[in-house]
Amino acid sequence: MARRGVLLAVVLSALVVVTGASAAAPRVRLTVYAAADLAFALKEITAAFERTFNVDVILVLGSTGNLAHQIEHGAPADLFFAASDTFIDRLVERGAVLRETRAIYAQGRIVLATARSAGTKLTDLRQLAEPRVRRVAIANPLHAPYGKAAEEALRRAGVLDAVRPKLILAENIRQALQFLQTGSADAGIVALSVAGVPEIEWVPIDPALHNPLNQAVAVVRRSAQPDLASAFVQFVNGPQGRSVMKRFGFVLPGEP
Amino acid sequence: MDWFPVWLSVRVSLAATALTLLGGVPLAWLLARKVPRLKDLLGAVVVTPLVLPPTVLGYYLLVLIGAGSPIGRFFESLGLELAFTWRAAVLAAAVGSMPLLVKALQAGFEGIDPRLEQAARTLGHAEWSVFWRVTLPLAWRALVAGTVLAFCRALGDFGITLMVAGSIPGRTQTLPLAIYDLVQANRMHEANLLAAMTIVAVLVLLLGVGRIARVRY
Repeated sequence: MARRGVLLAVVLSALVVVTGASAAAPRVRLTVYAAADLAFALKEITAAFERTFNVDVILVLGSTGNLAHQIEHGAPADLFFAASDTFIDRLVERGAVLRETRAIYAQGRIVLATARSAGTKLTDLRQLAEPRVRRVAIANPLHAPYGKAAEEALRRAGVLDAVRPKLILAENIRQALQFLQTGSADAGIVALSVAGVPEIEWVPIDPALHNPLNQAVAVVRRSAQPDLASAFVQFVNGPQGRSVMKRFGFVLPGEP
Repeated sequence: MDWFPVWLSVRVSLAATALTLLGGVPLAWLLARKVPRLKDLLGAVVVTPLVLPPTVLGYYLLVLIGAGSPIGRFFESLGLELAFTWRAAVLAAAVGSMPLLVKALQAGFEGIDPRLEQAARTLGHAEWSVFWRVTLPLAWRALVAGTVLAFCRALGDFGITLMVAGSIPGRTQTLPLAIYDLVQANRMHEANLLAAMTIVAVLVLLLGVGRIARVRY
């Protein structure tokens, strides 16, 4: 019957399409896994690195926790820029990344952000307790490093209990920013590195209010080109990379 | 604009639909038969992908087929790496689609008058022939509806694919993952364009299939 013919044809053609599907381009490729907060800075640095070294860099962005799981289970990464050093340390323990390549590439900073749609700019964490602030966006402190720092800052400023009912927990720091950009939250605590958007105003939060946000990188053990991967780390921490990183709000410990 | 995710998604969802049909048709047939205990257990297992959060399901799938697992090592020894390749994306989409096809088709099989199949048997047809010539044609609409649902679910899969195939641009970044990435990067115009294109393409496809198979959703 014609219907069975159609069914068979669909299944067979799908199988043909699939067996024909294959990967491409045998040019030297470096696959860099990186935390979502690095999106803007690394895209710029990557372009410069590709020109200098004449290679292709594939940037895979995601939440540090997810990417760490994937690297532990054999993801084809050469290099992993985590949003926190604790994830790198765990991967070092489990043998998924090379211990001797572990390096701090930045220290994260957090800022108190106010959505422009919500009115006057907040300048002090304690103002978050005021009734005019109804919703406060932060990243989920349970697994997002910037969320954890935000919670610590609120606690040390003495307003965590007052603010807790207003908290909206985002999956990561970029989603927290989106809550502010869309006006779903009046205020929030986000990373300095992503705060340069027109919809919000911000003031820096005193880094003494939270544990240092050390961001670490390491070369993945399964990498077939650890030397090129190390060269990328050096490039990020070199003069060209540093000027971009600084512009996006990432500084090294001791840097002004 | 990078069109790779579009083609990847077309291929992956077609392949996943084929895989879902290969596994799902026999499964639905089995569930519609009278083996009671097996049926209850299997019927419950089949719907678990609908219950678990997709990323959690994807994580379990990753543990199951990842580089360190026995299954992952076996396929790697055959030169067929699974995790973080397009094959993993196909697998992820098929896992998400399976319950939709199986449940739709099971209902279709169960609605068939068993006397029609009996009649075919008395006319000397073997079980395979009865299935192919009587059961399946009678459940045709359920099959088409289930297949369409499975294809749409495969095309839209996000969470399972993200975990087990990654979101590697140019390799495993399917359409939903690409749209998500564009939204995250604040490139809303491109994201909106891709999303609108997907919706229009699927609408055209659904209307076309509905016409040809005379099925309504």
